[in-house]
Amino acid sequence: MPLLAADTRREPQTRRYPMLAYALVPLAALILQAWLPQLTGRYSWFDLPLVVTVYFALDRRSPIQGTFMGAAMGLFEDALSHHAIGVNGVAKTVAGFLAASVGVRVDVENHTIRLALNFLLSLVSSSLVVFVSRFLLGLDYEWSWFTVLFTALGNSLIALVLFPLLDRLAVRD
Amino acid sequence: MEPFFLRYRNLLVLLALLLAQIIGLAVQVRRTGDGRSSLDAGDSAGVRLVRLWANALVSPPEKLIHAFGLGAEHLWQNYLDLRDVRSQNQELQKTIDRLRLEQAALLEDAKQGERLQALDSFQEKYIYKTVAAQAIGSSGSEQSHVFYIDKGSADGLDRDMAVITADGIVGKIRDVFPRSAQVLAINDQSSGAGVILETTRIRGILRGNANGQPQIVDILADKRIQKGEVVLTAGGDQIFPRGLPVGVVDRVVTDPERDSFIDVLITPAAHLDRLDEVLVITSTQPRFSPQDQQDMAASEALKGDEAAAIKEQKKASEVMAERLPGLIDPNLPPDQQPLHDSSNPVPVAHPPQALHPDRFTPGNAPDPAAGEVPPAAPDAAQANPSSGSQPGRQEPAAAPGGPHTAPASQPASKPAPPGKPTTAAPRNNQPQKNQPPKNPQGGNN
Repeated sequence: MPLLAADTRREPQTRRYPMLAYALVPLAALILQAWLPQLTGRYSWFDLPLVVTVYFALDRRSPIQGTFMGAAMGLFEDALSHHAIGVNGVAKTVAGFLAASVGVRVDVENHTIRLALNFLLSLVSSSLVVFVSRFLLGLDYEWSWFTVLFTALGNSLIALVLFPLLDRLAVRD
Repeated sequence: MEPFFLRYRNLLVLLALLLAQIIGLAVQVRRTGDGRSSLDAGDSAGVRLVRLWANALVSPPEKLIHAFGLGAEHLWQNYLDLRDVRSQNQELQKTIDRLRLEQAALLEDAKQGERLQALDSFQEKYIYKTVAAQAIGSSGSEQSHVFYIDKGSADGLDRDMAVITADGIVGKIRDVFPRSAQVLAINDQSSGAGVILETTRIRGILRGNANGQPQIVDILADKRIQKGEVVLTAGGDQIFPRGLPVGVVDRVVTDPERDSFIDVLITPAAHLDRLDEVLVITSTQPRFSPQDQQDMAASEALKGDEAAAIKEQKKASEVMAERLPGLIDPNLPPDQQPLHDSSNPVPVAHPPQALHPDRFTPGNAPDPAAGEVPPAAPDAAQANPSSGSQPGRQEPAAAPGGPHTAPASQPASKPAPPGKPTTAAPRNNQPQKNQPPKNPQGGNN
C-alpha cells in the first residue's frame, strides 16, 4: 500500500499556516456558503465549511484541532439556519476528527485520496445530520439521497480546485 | 491516570464536544402533546444570542458583496446601457397612465369591498404597506430554506410578517435582528401557509418537501385537481393576505403514509431560487396610504378628462341625430309618435269573425230575462251595438260557455235537429251584414 500508507521511512509532513489563514479561510467559507446559493439557486450542492474543515484536518494531522474546527464550523452553520444549533455541529465534529485521524495514516499529498476522503466524509456528515435529526431528536426530517450524493460530488469537485490553492498558503517546516 | 488521558485525549475531546452539543440539542427540543418532538417556535435567549452573533459576523460582508454587485449593475445600467432609454421612457409613461386608470377602478372595488365587509362585520386583510428589502444571503444548508434580508427591526419589520414578490408569496419572517431579518421560505419543511386551489376551491396547507419543492399536504384524493391549476393564498393563516398567487399545480402524488390522501406538488410562482428584491408586508390594516390616495386623485383627474371627452362625443352624436330624417311625425302629439308609442307593444290577438253566426256565436246569445227571442230581436240587437260590435270582449268567456249555457237559457226553444240549420240563424245573421267590417286582428284597438 505505497499509495495509501504514509511513508514510514520519514516523518509525516505537518504543514503550518499563518494565523490569518486560520481565521480568514474558514470565515470566507462560511460567508460564501451563505452567499453563493443566491447565485446558484437550487444547484447549491456543496458544503464549503466541510471542505475547509477536511482540508485543515488532513494537513494539520491533529484530531483535536480537526474536532474543534469541525465543531465551530458546524455550530456556525446551524446558527445561520433555523434548525437546532448542534445538528451540523455534531456532524462536522465527527468529520473533522475522522479526517485528522485518517490524515495521520495516509498520504494526504495524493489528490485522489483527498477527493475520495472528501466524498466519503461528505456522505458521513450528511448521514450524521439525518441520524441526529430523525433518530436522536425525533424530528420530522425528510431527506433525499439525490441531494446527499450530489453534495458529496460537489464537495469533491470543489476540493479538486480549492486544495491546491490552499496549499500555497502553507508554511513548510 | 495521566497516561490514560494522554493516550485517549483525542477521543475524549471528541466525546466531550459531542456530549456538550447533544445536551444543547436536548434543551432546544421539546415534546408536543401528540408525542412527537419539535423545535420551539421561538428561540430561547441563549440560542437567539448565538444566532445574533453569527448573523452579525456574516451579514456585513454579505451586504458588502451584495452592494458591490448592485453597484456594478447600476454602473452598467446607468452609464453603459442607455440605448433606447427615451423610447422606453415614453412607453413607460403610457403604461403608467393606463395603470392609473386601472388602479382607480380597482381601488373603487376595494373601497366597496371594505364597505361590504364592514356591513358583514368581517375584516379582510389587504396589503397597504410594504417595505422593500434585498436578499443578501442564505443559511447555506440544503435542508434549511431560509434566507436573510437587509432590513430588520429598525425598519419596522417584525416576526411573522409575510414576504412576497411581484410574482407570488415567498415566505414569512422567522427572526428579526436590528439590521437584518431571517425569512423562512415556503419550500421549507417547517413552513406552513393556508392555500386554496382556484378552480376546485380545495383548501390545504402548503409546506416544503425534502427536495425543496412546496406541496399541499393533508388533502383527500380528488381527481378534479389537474396540472396547471392556480394556487392562491387562503388568508386563514393570519400571515398571508387572501388571494396572493402561490404557484400552479405541478403534479399530484399519493401520500406515502395514507392512501386516501394526496400531496399536490406546486411549482412556486416566485423564483425562490433566485430571490433578489422582496417586499415585506408590514401593514394589512384596511386603510389607504397617502401614496394610494395621491394615486387615486391622479386617477380621478385622468378619469375626469376622459369623462369630458366622452360627454363631448355624446353631444355631437345627438346633434347629428337631430339633423338626420327620422320617424317623427310633427302632426302627432309626442305620446303618439310612432317611435315613442309603447302603449301596446304586443297587440291582442282576436279570433276571426264567424262566417255563419248562430245563437252560439258570442254576442248573439239571447238574454234569459227576455225569454225567447222575438223576431224583432235582430233589430234590437242592431240598436244595441254593445252586444255585437264588441264580440271580442265577450268571446273568451262566451265561447267555451256558450254551447253549455245556451240550452239552459232557452228552456222553451226547440233544439235544432242536428245537421239542419235553425230558422233563427239567418235572422241573427241578418244585422251583422249591416255592421261595418271589423278587423279580425283587432285593428280597432
